[in-house]
Amino acid sequence: MLWALLGLGAGFTAIPLFTESDYLLNLGVQLFLAVALAQSWNVLGGFTGQITLGHAAFFGLGALVTRTLWGNGVGILLAIIPGILVCIAFSLLIGGLAFRLRGDYFAIGTLALAEMLRIIVGNLLPGISTIPSTALTNYALLPRYYLGLALAALVVGVAAALARSRIGLGMQAIREDEAAAAASGVGVLGHKLLALVISTGLAGFAGGVFAYYHASYYPQYPFSPLWSFEAILMSFIGGVGTVHGPVLGALFYTILKEYLAVRLVEIHLLIFGTLFILIVLLLPGGLVEVWTRFRRLVHRGS
Amino acid sequence: MILAQQLILGLLVGGLYGLAAAGLSLTFGVLRVLNVAHGDLLMLGGYVTFWLFSLWHVDPFLSLAAVAPSLFFLGLILYCVLFRFVVRAREEVRIKNSLLIGFGLTLVFQILAIQFFTADERSVTTAYGGEAIKIAGLAIPLVRLASVVLAFLVLAALQIFLNRARWGRAIRATAEDWEAASLMGIPVGRAYLWAFALGTALAGVAGGLVSVSYSISPTIGLEWTLKALIVTVLAGLGSLFGSFAGGLLLGFAEAGSGLLLGGAYREAVGLGLFLIILITRPQGLFGSR
Amino acid sequence: MVTWSKPVLEIEGLVVSYGALTALQGVSLTVGSGEIVVLVGPNGAGKSTLLKAVAGLLHPRSGAIRWEGEELSAIPPHRIVERGLALVPEGRRLFARMTIRENLELGAFTPRAQAEKSRRLDRVYEIFPRLQERQDQLAGSLSGGEQQMLALGRAFMSAPRLLLLDEPSLGLAPRVAEAIFSVLGEFHREGLSIFLVEQNVQAALTLAQRAYILEGGKIVGAGEGRSLLQDEHIRTAYLGPLARGGQSN
Repeated sequence: MLWALLGLGAGFTAIPLFTESDYLLNLGVQLFLAVALAQSWNVLGGFTGQITLGHAAFFGLGALVTRTLWGNGVGILLAIIPGILVCIAFSLLIGGLAFRLRGDYFAIGTLALAEMLRIIVGNLLPGISTIPSTALTNYALLPRYYLGLALAALVVGVAAALARSRIGLGMQAIREDEAAAAASGVGVLGHKLLALVISTGLAGFAGGVFAYYHASYYPQYPFSPLWSFEAILMSFIGGVGTVHGPVLGALFYTILKEYLAVRLVEIHLLIFGTLFILIVLLLPGGLVEVWTRFRRLVHRGS
Repeated sequence: MILAQQLILGLLVGGLYGLAAAGLSLTFGVLRVLNVAHGDLLMLGGYVTFWLFSLWHVDPFLSLAAVAPSLFFLGLILYCVLFRFVVRAREEVRIKNSLLIGFGLTLVFQILAIQFFTADERSVTTAYGGEAIKIAGLAIPLVRLASVVLAFLVLAALQIFLNRARWGRAIRATAEDWEAASLMGIPVGRAYLWAFALGTALAGVAGGLVSVSYSISPTIGLEWTLKALIVTVLAGLGSLFGSFAGGLLLGFAEAGSGLLLGGAYREAVGLGLFLIILITRPQGLFGSR
Repeated sequence: MVTWSKPVLEIEGLVVSYGALTALQGVSLTVGSGEIVVLVGPNGAGKSTLLKAVAGLLHPRSGAIRWEGEELSAIPPHRIVERGLALVPEGRRLFARMTIRENLELGAFTPRAQAEKSRRLDRVYEIFPRLQERQDQLAGSLSGGEQQMLALGRAFMSAPRLLLLDEPSLGLAPRVAEAIFSVLGEFHREGLSIFLVEQNVQAALTLAQRAYILEGGKIVGAGEGRSLLQDEHIRTAYLGPLARGGQSN
């Protein structure tokens, strides 16, 4: 299965060699952002079982910091790193307190936090943010595409490495039964904090790429709860708590959204919303579970 | 003078926060399910009032008589189709799934509203909409005052139902201990159904009042859910009047902080307050018992 | 063993498990009409599990629970109450934030009990005058003994024909426990069947016509109440000075 992901990465690396279609490259960047959002949420929400509704806070924070630095002449790669660091610092600042909350309270606490940031940013920076005119005239899609690809590869790589590590096992133990995990010697708070740091750092990176990619947007837009929702949605469609699930979910979501958006404009979100509810109720394992069931069926048949 | 005027306006909007919170805490308290789509149910209620007014000139306050039953009905459907399947799950699954379903519903309702009602901000403007009562130099907008009074009356009626009626008591008993309630012969599933539908109807009535006192748009849902959550956390579960008082307090605090820090931060202050309470009472609403 | 009367409650080969843990492994017993039957056994033997299964709060893996010939195990708890079985659960489970009066009236929730509500309320107040004095106070404000009286009264309100009780004397002063037992005797004289789980073996066996001993999820003994008081196993395991120490929780 890991080979499938590597093959996918190689395929995406090669695409620009064959086509210069802006349409495909744009779609690619959107896909990479989707993968990064979903997979970074999955590290905290899926592996560790801490359902956060405030993922957008870090996506937005990363975008804000990177955009500000980059807009003031810092090189984009240099501008992204502080974005990530700010996210990590902020997550460490709130983490100790946030993890005192359980279940519902953690979810709504993170949601409230994200909303608070969104409102503050909206009030402080009400104007639209546009990239400097020099950058605009030289705007090229290709570097955005490859930066996005690097982001997606990094996020998936981190998740895959984590899933196979002792630390990842500890995180999953916490998801399954926190008390039992603690009893068998897993440092609960440490693991949760690490998951939070990884998750928010990667979300901050994604925000940085978003800031590099979009020519103009309202600074509060990347803080919108819609981003948290999309991240959760894609993770669940694909298969929450797995490495492949969020990638699959992001692919499915981005492509179907593109297809539907042409025809049905806004209705695609309605379809995804309904699909999401159905998956939560009826198919908690997502597409990955469908695939494993299918394989088991085939194996039994042969 | 401006100070007093702002604080009064804060109290008036606070009454509606209280009504929104009462519905949320009713479902939360009885089903132990946090419905994140509560604000979106409120938004839908607001549109019922708005359309009844713009299409058939139904007085917005009168239209509540239609809003409440239609949202009650919607609540019945939502419970039977969705929430029924999560209430009996083991605690973590219940919390997780009900949150996720509510989150999904938020999106569905929002998009439906944009599709059918457009993304425009709407409000009901009646002939008497601009009138105000003037006391000692303060202007109290009539419509907003009437909304708060009505919100209070609705809660009082509901409280009487919960205290006196056979099913009202059954709902309270279920909230306190569903297993013991079932041993009394109470069909617990039915109590959940009533409570959820009543909570939805309350959201609808609140929405109707919001559409006449303030304004509605398809995206107000989350904002109102958060207001209701803040109040619920502030006031605790178990008492409708507690929610109402908590709402007034939040409205008052928002207005006060708006004056101190500037209007731009009034929303953030409420949320900050919320986070502080969450962190000082991390065991949650049920943990303190 | 003497068959006392036509059994109203018959339990046959009952198996109940929590996940991998089997709490009851094939329990069979009967309660006759108008009988007082007591179930004794150490902590963790599965006594509460048995009562919960009868009341419909737990679903058995296999076996039968029959009430007057009707199979109960697929019937939800609120319908079991309608049929005339009332459980006074372990820890009483009162509605602490409701008044005493409200608790009692909730006991009479089913349509069948509604019809007899006022008559039964008068009767409860006659038996427990303390409850009437304090009827508008919150149930949470009562003392342990009063709470047990309220739990008993609340169950009585449902117009039961079989009363299931889970350790009614637990945590009560001896004199209060005695009062509770005497009320049970009174209920019995009025025609109620009683199935009692009890740690206070001496008092329970004195009151009971028949008794079963449950250990490790199995019935390991049965007999007439008073004659079991002389039984060697009972004496050493449940009545001896050593046993007292181990059971006094």
